[in-house]
Amino acid sequence: MKALYVDRQTWQHRLPPRLKLIVLVTVSVAVFLLDRPLPLAIAALAGAACYFSAGMGLREALRRLIPALVTIVAVALFTLLFQSAAEAVTALLRLTALMLFAGAVTATVSITQFMDEITLAATPLEKAGLARAADIGLASALVVRFVPEILGRYEAISQAQAARGVRPRALATLMPLIILTLRDADSIAAAIDARGFRQP
Amino acid sequence: MDIRFNGAGARFAGRQVLEPLSLTLGERRIGIIGLNGSGKTTFARMINGQVPPTPGSVSVGGLDTVKDGRQVLGRVGFIFQNPQNQIILPIVKDDIAFGLKHRGLSKAETAAATEAVLARLGIAHLAERRAHELSGGELQLAALAAVLVTGPDWLILDEPTNQLDLKNRKRVAETIAALDQRLIVISHDLALVEDFERVLLFHEGRLAADDTPGKAIAHYREIAGA
Amino acid sequence: MKTRDLVLTALFAAIIVVLGVIPPVQLGFIPVPIHAQSLGVMLAGVILGAKRGALAVLLFLLLAAIGLPVLSGGRGGLGVFVAPPAGYLVGFVPAAYVAGLVSERLVRAGQSGGRQIAGFFVAAALGGIVIDHLLGIVWLAQSTGMGFSKAFLGDLAFVPGDVLKAAIAALAARAVMVGYPLLPQRV
Repeated sequence: MKALYVDRQTWQHRLPPRLKLIVLVTVSVAVFLLDRPLPLAIAALAGAACYFSAGMGLREALRRLIPALVTIVAVALFTLLFQSAAEAVTALLRLTALMLFAGAVTATVSITQFMDEITLAATPLEKAGLARAADIGLASALVVRFVPEILGRYEAISQAQAARGVRPRALATLMPLIILTLRDADSIAAAIDARGFRQP
Repeated sequence: MDIRFNGAGARFAGRQVLEPLSLTLGERRIGIIGLNGSGKTTFARMINGQVPPTPGSVSVGGLDTVKDGRQVLGRVGFIFQNPQNQIILPIVKDDIAFGLKHRGLSKAETAAATEAVLARLGIAHLAERRAHELSGGELQLAALAAVLVTGPDWLILDEPTNQLDLKNRKRVAETIAALDQRLIVISHDLALVEDFERVLLFHEGRLAADDTPGKAIAHYREIAGA
Repeated sequence: MKTRDLVLTALFAAIIVVLGVIPPVQLGFIPVPIHAQSLGVMLAGVILGAKRGALAVLLFLLLAAIGLPVLSGGRGGLGVFVAPPAGYLVGFVPAAYVAGLVSERLVRAGQSGGRQIAGFFVAAALGGIVIDHLLGIVWLAQSTGMGFSKAFLGDLAFVPGDVLKAAIAALAARAVMVGYPLLPQRV
């Protein structure tokens, strides 16, 4: 899996990740408090300025925006149809501003930086005995490690069914996929414990 | 450093899967053979404390596998049957380094130890590779590196050449033979254990032979009718 | 948490990611795609139970949030959590929890196959449809200003698809229960 983080050194990359996350939360709240087009348009422009200077190149930047823009435009059309033009413009600007700010943060905060922030956020939980911060990192790594294995298994099951002349169907593929994958849990857990990865 | 079984057996769901036995393992190369389901993997798993003994006790270098479980894990490295389920981080070198995490080493020391073990097994080129892209032989060697880096006294290998082609079998066998650690190898590949010092044969949950490789293997052939 | 539970949670999160590789179906008239990922969420609850199921979904969303392209269609990042359909996404966590909780109460080992499937279906539908759609509608209405009644009407378009998914989830959960039981039993 290739992360959406963009490995460059723009001015936004140099800002502390925590600051960027705080700004994003503040912006998210602010755009819902604002309901006039002018301040929202300014927010959207500021978002665009951040997003397009986050170092990903124009082409990649536009490619990432398309799925989000499709939903935003659909919402705006829906609003235009059933409500007023002013409300449609407000919804369009508000959502666009949010998407742009969020996209900029995603492109400029690395997976490692995110994990550090998550570990920090998990510290109170750890002190309360509810979760272990190190486990969050281990679990995340396990997902990234085993997604390609499960995809490979999915393809193998589909092929095996095709070889037997069965047209691959959702349920017939899903059941062996889940059972075989979950059965691995025992041996993976045994390996983790045998290597002493987790503190008692 | 010896491994001692003191009247130790194993029980699962109320059934005695391994009859109690007493023995001391001190040789450098020990093989374990037997049919599927004979109890050999259970026996091996009792050594690093994965399966607690009922009844009896098991110790490694004087450390009890139940009471001193964590220290025993540090002394005994275990290579499981499915190497793909042992590499648990996406990148090979990260996985190897992860085993050193609780050792209090600096980043540079961890990197140096990781590089050293990869070089020693002749797989330095795999350091940056993704685990799911490795072949069976490469996975087996990477799993071995991940365990070796922690510096165990004993190494238990469960069917290390099981899923490998002839060429990789030879490579893994040679790599294993060159290790300084004391080895316990469970194998259906009898050629792998035939020059070992001692071979244990398990049959139907009992230790059926504890002998030189020649005699134990001969007994095994009788049991299997082959 | 035992290591095995941690691994089960992570493996299920990975299954949910894999289910998202199947491309989502876009319906023209409402801005929410139909995808097999929500099937994975129902499955997490009914197969792993409330706690592990909800944690698996939470882990999956965490990876999406930090910018891994784990959502259907290779999407990810923080943007998806502020977009109009974000309520459906965040609602996945309580959805899996409720589906798990209901399964733990309704389904037992000794029951007939039909009753188990029915129990799993009710659980998957309560979590994956009632709870998830409720949160989806609230956020859709709030974030776009389209109002609850219109958001609700738009949402109805997705109910038939999700009923079908709940049925698939129920059949799969029963098969997994027979092959590899994991659901914590409650009396």
